[in-house]
Amino acid sequence: MAPLPTDNLTAVLYGINDLRLEQRPIPKPNDDQVLLQMEVVGICGSDVHYLVHGRIGPFVVEKPMVIGHEASGTVVGVGKNVKHLKPGDRVAIEPGEGCRKCNYCKEGRYNLCLEMSFCATPPVDGNLSRYYVHAADFCFKLPDNVSLEEGALLEPLSVGVHACKRGGVTTGSVVLVLGAGPIGLVTLLSAKAFGASKVIITDIVENRLETAKKLGADHTLLIQPNDKEEVIIKRIIDALGCEPTVSMDCSGAETSVRVAIQATRSGGVAVLIGMGKSEMTLPLASALIREVDIRGVFRYVNDYPTALDLVATGKVNVKPLITHNYKMEDTLKAFDTSRTGAGNAIKVLIHANPNRKL
Amino acid sequence: MEVVGICGSDVHYLVDGRIGPFVVEKPMVIGHEASGTVLELGRNVKHLKEGDHVAIEPGSGCRRCKYCKTGRYNLCPDMRFCATPPIDGNLARYYVHDADFCFKLPSHVSVEEGALLEPLSCGVRACKRGGVTIGSTVLILGAGPIGLTSLLAAKAFGASRIVIADFNESRLELAERFGANCTIQVCPDDEENDVIEHVYEAFDNKQPSVSIECSGAEMGIRIAILVTKTGGKAVLLGMGKTEINLPLGSALFREVDIKGVFRYVNDYPTSLDMVATGKVDVLPLITHQFPLEETLEAFETARTGAGNAIKVLIRPNTDSSSNC
Repeated sequence: MAPLPTDNLTAVLYGINDLRLEQRPIPKPNDDQVLLQMEVVGICGSDVHYLVHGRIGPFVVEKPMVIGHEASGTVVGVGKNVKHLKPGDRVAIEPGEGCRKCNYCKEGRYNLCLEMSFCATPPVDGNLSRYYVHAADFCFKLPDNVSLEEGALLEPLSVGVHACKRGGVTTGSVVLVLGAGPIGLVTLLSAKAFGASKVIITDIVENRLETAKKLGADHTLLIQPNDKEEVIIKRIIDALGCEPTVSMDCSGAETSVRVAIQATRSGGVAVLIGMGKSEMTLPLASALIREVDIRGVFRYVNDYPTALDLVATGKVNVKPLITHNYKMEDTLKAFDTSRTGAGNAIKVLIHANPNRKL
Repeated sequence: MEVVGICGSDVHYLVDGRIGPFVVEKPMVIGHEASGTVLELGRNVKHLKEGDHVAIEPGSGCRRCKYCKTGRYNLCPDMRFCATPPIDGNLARYYVHDADFCFKLPSHVSVEEGALLEPLSCGVRACKRGGVTIGSTVLILGAGPIGLTSLLAAKAFGASRIVIADFNESRLELAERFGANCTIQVCPDDEENDVIEHVYEAFDNKQPSVSIECSGAEMGIRIAILVTKTGGKAVLLGMGKTEINLPLGSALFREVDIKGVFRYVNDYPTSLDMVATGKVDVLPLITHQFPLEETLEAFETARTGAGNAIKVLIRPNTDSSSNC
């Protein structure tokens, strides 16, 4: 029998700008969990935010917390009740587990569970480590044609998927996506996959729009920081030839949210994915009098299977989002790249399995 | 024409000459909450006959655009709506209207009730937008005519608990008669957080699943968003300032949907059914009635709210008398 592993290098956030790599004991799975050898962990803007600010809204890093939540791994051990996975299976890991007992969980909206346990949202540890245990039913087996990198990307992709479902994006939808960062890009990919006939994407950074074009955007619009709202809206409608039926803000910026509300066709939906200021002054009458619904998005719910299907069937190609790959030992550098956006960084991946070649 | 009720928007046009982009640029007949008796039929009209009493749904769309064809004619860009400039209203002795927007009243439904189907339809629409059903817990902000019809509709739709808030004590008394489980009297200097605390008390320390905001006031809108439970709906019926300072984070983080309501669409049949089957009694909303000749006085009563006015009716038909 092979010797038991002992190296469980783990990335732990101790406080603002204080991220350390240290050894932690290898956890044991309970009856409903699997033990995973972690493979790929992507860095999210929220991970960077916790590093730089030590908090996001009411979630404060008060004690050391393992970072990372966009991940894939290989099963190495299974709990007694686990039937659908076996050692050797490669999986995508949906990072949040609800309590399973409350009304939200039972009514199919576990993302809103008040006792949600979500990787790397304080005080719950994340999964940037060599080994990690997770609820087996939140681990999704990857078919042979889906890589571990793509498995990790199912997390941001699921945000785009959930947003499209919230917006009712379907065949014939005309979609405006505001912001071409990773979330704007997965929203674009999802919208096209859901059948949108036209997608226009905006951003203030030109090379992000170039990536968006490669990912299938029908139109891109470069916005100058001082552009007036009315001008932006007119340019969007001119480019599309009509008002969008669904607008999806992926920036959190007040101007973008305002544009989303005003540009959307009567009876349409403004989906607000980006989180910005908690208080915003909005042109509400425009939304009310035209019945433009305003719908927020909190993470995703029952969307991993959809996201996996989109990737496995080739409807969505997430690989162009990956710009940087680092070994786990270089985690601090990885975070720095992500934080600064150096080298036109979009999705920075960290590889936690030392035996797997990059 | 039999009965025409006065709406806050009618008063607004009288006092301000405009509502938002709609400006009274040439003389316009007022009135849109109405019922009448059929005197003559166009050639193609099959479902009505002379002598029928009807409730008149005041707005017809173009019938050809995508909004009209997909069942959202209330959003038709070419909507012709009584007493929204430049379209004439129906406060007159005689008036013609598209027959398919006239709903025959069964014999036991009065022409007064017929006129009230208009504001009732706003409440009905709000409840449909909010998904109010059996088990819903509903907060209504504002107990004016629209808050009260929202209350009536919410009860009829099966809400298990309805709490309504307003400044005015007599309106809250009427709300109680209409079946509100709890009323909250708000004082003008109350802070947002005070009101929110009262709301939670009224719901037994739970958050309502649907809030229906009927005042248009910024504080009402903010409270509607903040108190609604996670995953619930904040239905915004009242129209106020164009720009509102919203606690948006609370709505987004908790997936509280914000849904506006523009008038109603395919809701007159529902409203009529509710009144005809006795699920809803709208008659207590009527506080004043005036003959057509006293229209100015009627508007003054509606404008000032004198005599605890809620719904003021005008009667263009000199031959008929009030049944209520």
